[in-house]
Amino acid sequence: MPFGAHPPIPKKEKISVAYLVQKLRERVHIDLQACASEEQCENSYVTEADLHRPGLALAGYIKTFTYQRIQVIGNTESEYLEHLSEDERKKAFSNLTQFDIPVIITTDHNELDPELQEMAQKAGIPLFKTNIETTKFMFLLRDFLEDQFAMQTMVHGTMVDVYGIGILIAGKSGIGKSEVALDLVERGHRLVADDVIILTCKGNNLIGAATEMNKHFMEIRGLGIIDIMSMFGIRAIRYQKRLEVVLELSLWDESKDIERTGLDKDQMDILDVEVPLVHLPITPGKNITVIAEVIAMNHLLSHYGYDAAQAFQDKVKTNIAKKQRKEADMPRRAIEYFEGDTE
Amino acid sequence: MIKEEITITNSAGLHARPAASLVKLASNYKSDFFIHMQGYTVNGKSILGVMTLAAEQGAKLELQVDGPDEEEALKAIKDLFERGFDED
Repeated sequence: MPFGAHPPIPKKEKISVAYLVQKLRERVHIDLQACASEEQCENSYVTEADLHRPGLALAGYIKTFTYQRIQVIGNTESEYLEHLSEDERKKAFSNLTQFDIPVIITTDHNELDPELQEMAQKAGIPLFKTNIETTKFMFLLRDFLEDQFAMQTMVHGTMVDVYGIGILIAGKSGIGKSEVALDLVERGHRLVADDVIILTCKGNNLIGAATEMNKHFMEIRGLGIIDIMSMFGIRAIRYQKRLEVVLELSLWDESKDIERTGLDKDQMDILDVEVPLVHLPITPGKNITVIAEVIAMNHLLSHYGYDAAQAFQDKVKTNIAKKQRKEADMPRRAIEYFEGDTE
Repeated sequence: MIKEEITITNSAGLHARPAASLVKLASNYKSDFFIHMQGYTVNGKSILGVMTLAAEQGAKLELQVDGPDEEEALKAIKDLFERGFDED
C-alpha cells in the first residue's frame, strides 16, 4: 500500500438543523423560510443522509415510518392534505407530529395551513418552506447530506492539481514528495495539500482536501515550514480536487518489476473506490516533475479516448499480421524521401 | 508490527518543537511509524502530520511501529514521550 494504513476516520454522527439550514442558505443557495419552531433548530439533529416523503404516514400507515429522516412535503402530500376537511387534515398531520421528526420542509411554493403550522410549533418540530421544485430540492439536499455523512480517510502524501488532474504523490517519508509538489507549483500547478490529506468518498469519486490545520503549508526538509498561499498566491492552491491518479515514488530497486509498456494498468482501492496507481522508481537525473505532468497528460489523453500504449500495441499486431500474409517486411524508415537539412 | 498506547505529559502538548524532535528521532529508524489518535492516523515521520493532530496534554496516542528495527525505534520514541520532550 502506497501510504500504509488508511482506515476510515470517524464519521459525523449528526448535524443540527440550524447548521443544515445555514449551510443550505450560504453554500447551496437554497432560500429556506422558517414557518415554525425556529428556536428548536439548535436542538434538533439530522442523523442520516436519506430523505423521506411522508405520504403514507399522512394517510395513517405509520408502521415503517422513517421519522428520523428529514420529511419533505411536496405537491402530492400538500394536495392530499388540502382535499381533506379541517378535522381530517389535523388528524392526518398528527400522524407526523407524534414522532420526534428533525425537520419538515415544504417545497415548490407549498405551505402548510396555519393550524398545521401551529401543531408543528406545539410539537417543537422545525418547519421550513422553499420555493424550489421538489425533485430539484431533494437532489440538492441529498447531495449536501451525502457529503456531510460521507466516508473519509486520512492519508499521507502530497496532492497537486496538474493540468486539472488530481495527482496524489505517495511514498516513504523523505523521498521528496513535497519537493516535487513545490516544483509543480512553481510551474503553475496547484497544491491541494501536503503531508496530510483527507479523502472523502462522494458517489464513486474521492475528493481530496487539506485539513483545517495544514492548509496550505508545506514542509521542505532543511528549510522548515513554508506557506504556499502567501508565497505563490491564490493561483498556487486549491481547496479540493477529485483524486484521479496515485503516483507512488520509490527508491530504485533492480529486483522490482516495473511496468514498461503501460498496457497493464495498476489500481488501488481506497474506501472501495478504484484509483489508477503509477509506480515510479526514482533514479538520479530523473525529472519527477516533468513525469508527473506527463502522467497527467497521459491520463487526459486516455480519458478522451487515446491510449498510447494500446495504439502502439495495435500497430505491432497489424504489422505481425501483415508479415504473416507476406505483405510487409522489416520496418523501414518512416519517410519515403529524405530531402536533407543543409542551411 | 508493534503498537503501544502513550499519554502526552508535557504541558504545552505536541506543538512544533516536540513534533520536530519526534519526527527527527523517528526518521533515524528504518521502520514505518504511524500515530493513531481518536480514529485519525498520521505518519509519525511527517512534521505537518504530527502537528495536525494538535495533541494536548493528557491526550492518548497509539504508536504503531513496523519494520526491521521496530523494537529499538519504539523504545526510543516512548522514552522521548516519557521525558516530556525535555520541555517541562
